[in-house]
Amino acid sequence: MSDFLFELGVEEVPVAEIKPILNQLKSLLQLKLQENQVKFGNVETAATNKRFMIYFGSINEKAEDKEEQIKGPAKRIAYDEQNKPTLALLKFLEFNQVQLPDISEIDTPKGVYLVVDKKTEGRYTTDILQEIIPIILKELTFGKNMAWNASRVSFVRPIKNILSIFDNNLITVEFAGTHSTYFIYGHTLLSDTPIQVKSYRDYCELLAKNFVIIREEDRKQKILDEIKEVEDEFNAHVRFEKEMLEDFIYNNEYPVIFHGQFDKKYLELPTEIITTFMIREKKLIPIFNKENQLLNIFVGVSNVPDESQNVKKGNERVIRATFEDAKFFWDNDRRDDFIGLREQLHNVTFHKDLGNFFEKTDRIAVLVDLLLKENNQTSLAIPLRRAAFYCKNDLVTRMVREFPSLQGIMGGLYLKSKDEPENTWKSVYSHYEPKGFQVSPLDHLGAGFISIADKMDSIAGFLSRDIKISSSKDPYGIRRDTNAIIKIILDFKLDFNLDKIITASASKFVTPGKTIEEIVKSIREHFFGRMENVLKDFLSYRYDVVNAVLNTKNLFIYRIALKTHDLSKIVQAPSVSELIALHRRLKNIIKDPGEFTISEDTFIQKEEKILYDIFKESRAKIESLMLNHRYMEVCSKILEMKPVIDNFFDKVMVMAEEQRLKENRIALVQQIDQLLSKIADFSLIVE
Amino acid sequence: MSLQDIILKLQEYWANNGCYIASGYDNEVGAGTMTPDTFFRVLGKHHWKVAYWQPSRRPDDGRYAQNPNRVQKHNQFQVILKPVPPDGQNLYLKSLNYLGVDIHNHDIKFDEDNWASPSLGAWGVGWQIMCDGLEITQFTYFQQAGGINLNPNSLEITYGIERLAAFLDVKDSIYDLEWGNNTSYSQLRFDEERQFSIYNFEMADIQMLRNLYNLYQKEATRLVAADLYLPAYDYVLKCSHTFNILDARKAISVAERNAYLAAMRTLASQIAQKYLLATEQ
Repeated sequence: MSDFLFELGVEEVPVAEIKPILNQLKSLLQLKLQENQVKFGNVETAATNKRFMIYFGSINEKAEDKEEQIKGPAKRIAYDEQNKPTLALLKFLEFNQVQLPDISEIDTPKGVYLVVDKKTEGRYTTDILQEIIPIILKELTFGKNMAWNASRVSFVRPIKNILSIFDNNLITVEFAGTHSTYFIYGHTLLSDTPIQVKSYRDYCELLAKNFVIIREEDRKQKILDEIKEVEDEFNAHVRFEKEMLEDFIYNNEYPVIFHGQFDKKYLELPTEIITTFMIREKKLIPIFNKENQLLNIFVGVSNVPDESQNVKKGNERVIRATFEDAKFFWDNDRRDDFIGLREQLHNVTFHKDLGNFFEKTDRIAVLVDLLLKENNQTSLAIPLRRAAFYCKNDLVTRMVREFPSLQGIMGGLYLKSKDEPENTWKSVYSHYEPKGFQVSPLDHLGAGFISIADKMDSIAGFLSRDIKISSSKDPYGIRRDTNAIIKIILDFKLDFNLDKIITASASKFVTPGKTIEEIVKSIREHFFGRMENVLKDFLSYRYDVVNAVLNTKNLFIYRIALKTHDLSKIVQAPSVSELIALHRRLKNIIKDPGEFTISEDTFIQKEEKILYDIFKESRAKIESLMLNHRYMEVCSKILEMKPVIDNFFDKVMVMAEEQRLKENRIALVQQIDQLLSKIADFSLIVE
Repeated sequence: MSLQDIILKLQEYWANNGCYIASGYDNEVGAGTMTPDTFFRVLGKHHWKVAYWQPSRRPDDGRYAQNPNRVQKHNQFQVILKPVPPDGQNLYLKSLNYLGVDIHNHDIKFDEDNWASPSLGAWGVGWQIMCDGLEITQFTYFQQAGGINLNPNSLEITYGIERLAAFLDVKDSIYDLEWGNNTSYSQLRFDEERQFSIYNFEMADIQMLRNLYNLYQKEATRLVAADLYLPAYDYVLKCSHTFNILDARKAISVAERNAYLAAMRTLASQIAQKYLLATEQ
């Protein structure tokens, strides 16, 4: 067994690109080796922003030998009358580089043919690697490409070195003007000269000596351990996002945690502003005490040890300037008449086909009003109308122009500073949340209503303009917004008919070429699609249960979720077979469309009279249970009727000859079906 | 090390590395990139190595002389290396060494920051170079200028001289720096920063500036048509600075902003094409 070590040294690659590149490198190498019949064992990979490493600990020295039978000419044309080989045979021998004795004959339905069993010896793996490495490097795809030298190769960042050694021997390759060598580079700042590497052991040992911790897990552990030390020292905890940790892990080949202090006077700024400036401007981590109050301490990750405390002191000076900037924006923005900024929204385009943000806030206000009515929350009408009108004002503030990620948050804080009621400023503060389904819930109902209205307005607007969306293409985040609306409804248990909001929102985007019906239809289809996705993929409900529940007319999102939940339990009980059988039977009878009404006097047989009586009695109870979302009990109530229904089907001929009797019986079956269908279409459940 | 020492040292270092030392441009620019020595010379085939000190104006960055390292006029040291040398990062680190930075004891990071100038139709790929958390340099591989793909590419290194000085001199604020020979930065710049901040944010006459912008744009358009692309470019620079003051004054809406930028970009790209046509034949 042989081994193969590959390193591509590069100038600093953006963090977001690193994992995709490493994965591509690994899978392309594996794929091309397999295609070339080279066998190999485990593959190890590692990456930093400066290098991509792939190591095959065991790989065959040669590709597998290939044995194949090559079919030649038919025997009858292979020899002439004197039994001498014809030109056809001679060419065949020459082409396959074999002699006459190597030939054998086989019988085929078309007659006897000549064949040769040919064995091709496997090529050397080094030859194959030499051939495929430049191809693989060329096939890599990146988020953003660049060119830098005369090779005109388009790559993620300039290439510094290629190390490619097979059993301690260099495989010579060239890509983008760089030739492979035995040399790699250590840490940019702490290692001065190129390092010669002859084996994987050299590679690991020499990198470690030259301040490169090659394994992601090791760098991560070092970072987390050292952060923990700071936390313990201050009896406090840090808070930062996963992306930030990734950034630290990949941007530092030798990560070292440091911490510093800043003047307490900056703690007078809102925490959101301080932490945003620390994180986004300076990649420094905020730290909080047990009471969740921000401390005047920051934690950072350096790429070099900081015995001289240069890094700490430098960052302490820098953070002061950053906070001065934050204070400048905050103070200047508050000097403005924040409420009055709404007029400027006339000049801020929402989308070129969908008007400006002033108009959008007008539409949001209308939807919020309707949402509050539908949810019996009209006491919130006054503060939420203000929230709707002013929720986009912060788009024209300095702070949000500088830090778009603070949109909403700043609007909330500026409204708070202008003494607006809590229900107004809090509703603005988090109305961009939630960003999708699988995120933390909103903590403020008002923000939920503004968020639904804002997002519905975007969804209706973009769908009315025929913007195509798919899993890979969703330029305006429509799917995410839809998931967010579903999430808000479920989190706050808002039991209302979303169709009314959809219709109201769609009515604002009617054009000569687009009727309200068309817009409503596409929004509804979109919501049903997203509901299906949420229930199946995010909440992991059975697909048949989801299909059964979604076979409904109205978008009572909350009810649909409750029904799905209950039905998933019901389908686990043995009695579900009875419900399925029942619903199928009902549906079979009423396959033919037609609306009929029941006339009590037309029931003539005992069994249909009993069923009708029991049905009338149960229906009232079932409908009240239904209103209270007690779907399990509804099912038992329906099952209680089952013997009577079965008896009806056994004894009564629904398709009676007499039209009057037949229609009356169908009407009864239809009503039972409608009752059951209010929960779900049980006929779609798979046993 | 004083600011003037830094400028002298950088001039010396880059002259030793084959650059011709130019003067800064005598027209308001937002960055060294906008001077003809960069904008035109990165276009086309001919090789080019230049270094120069360029005062740069960014009205929106004014802080009434109250921020320790943000100012509406700062000094850049600009280097253009065309074609890109194979060891650009190393050349840069050595220049820090030349200035006396002990690179083993500072956290110097190449932090992703792709540069783009929407008004010049130019963009590049590269990093902001952070030293102990302070951005001291922008390092960019140019990909496009005036909307034209560049071949060969150029490497642009832009040092922020004040930042570098504050770092080298371990000063909390750039106003504590020495310009050179007992002349302080504060003495030279404090009142300038205060007055221009008031002007840019509060006093600039919006209507007058709009009129000026329109006149400049008209003149640039007229000159492009007459194939006088060098003076035309001067007027685009004037447009750009006027636009920046209007922007700092919050006189430009988001929608207008895009229209202004598109107009300047169109002019810049026409000028770039005229230049190529005239020089590459």
